[in-house]
Amino acid sequence: MSTTRWVIVAALLAIGLALAWSARSGPLTAEQRVDRISAELRCPVCQGLSVRDSPSDTARSMRALVAQRVAEGRTDDEIRAEFQRSYGDWILLEPPLVSPTGLVWLAPLAAITLGAWLAVRRSRAPAPAVDAPTDEQTRRLREQVASEPE
Amino acid sequence: MRRIARYVAVALIVGLALTLTLAFRRDPHDIRTGTVGKPAPAFALPSLTDGSTISLDQYKGKVVVLNFWASWCIPCKEENPALTDVWERYRGTDVVLLGIVFQDSVEAARDYTARLGNTWPSVIDADGRVALSYGVFGPPETYFVGTDGIIAGRHIGPIDEPTLITGIETLRQSATR
Repeated sequence: MSTTRWVIVAALLAIGLALAWSARSGPLTAEQRVDRISAELRCPVCQGLSVRDSPSDTARSMRALVAQRVAEGRTDDEIRAEFQRSYGDWILLEPPLVSPTGLVWLAPLAAITLGAWLAVRRSRAPAPAVDAPTDEQTRRLREQVASEPE
Repeated sequence: MRRIARYVAVALIVGLALTLTLAFRRDPHDIRTGTVGKPAPAFALPSLTDGSTISLDQYKGKVVVLNFWASWCIPCKEENPALTDVWERYRGTDVVLLGIVFQDSVEAARDYTARLGNTWPSVIDADGRVALSYGVFGPPETYFVGTDGIIAGRHIGPIDEPTLITGIETLRQSATR
């Protein structure tokens, strides 16, 4: 590789590293952590809304509890686990992969794999053999074609 | 290969039918997830009547029926006669009925109990923390706590007298064994 190419590769690498460095996320503030955890928790009295997005009293109580736990120095996992103890995995908007709810994630993958396997099997299967027409069938077909108006 | 696919299809259909059958056999009010089978979360809350502290600990060794309610909750009014009858039936025994006021003001809750003539104790869960620790969705919800302090059952929605008595008697019998 010529020197010019090495310089271009090094420059691109440097730009990439600089972009990655600038895009890195710094430590979250307490408010950001409360927001993030609240967004992961399901509001128990709503239809598919997170605690962060719900204006209900229950969601407000939950958010206040999250804020208190963050202020107490609990980790995100500890806070999530507290709600899971009360409500089960259901309280998480994204069910955990390693649990009975893991089936929710695995079932579509299994269905896609099975479907792909069946499709490949069918595409590779030999075309069904077709018997050659008998002389009688050929004669009838010729007669039919000949009788059709042009 | 075709035979295997047929077996797999039959197994899937049987599995689905079995799952649905088991799911539909369950009482939708009897939710087993969450805190059922676990120790009842401890609490110490102010009494609705005089503000004195009532804690779950003081009922240790007794069968405790915790009923989350609110004055604005229509189904709570529906179940009130059942609670009244059960309170009268077990008053002074080893069974405790304790109301927990859920997302309601003290004034409204006091007015409600006075109007309906409820005399069993209730406590105020002002910030809703106790409800969250029990995994309450909304009132009315009733929890059966055994003498061992474990939540044995939970009923979502208005409860009737036979369900209350069955829950209580099951726990009393298991306590004497």
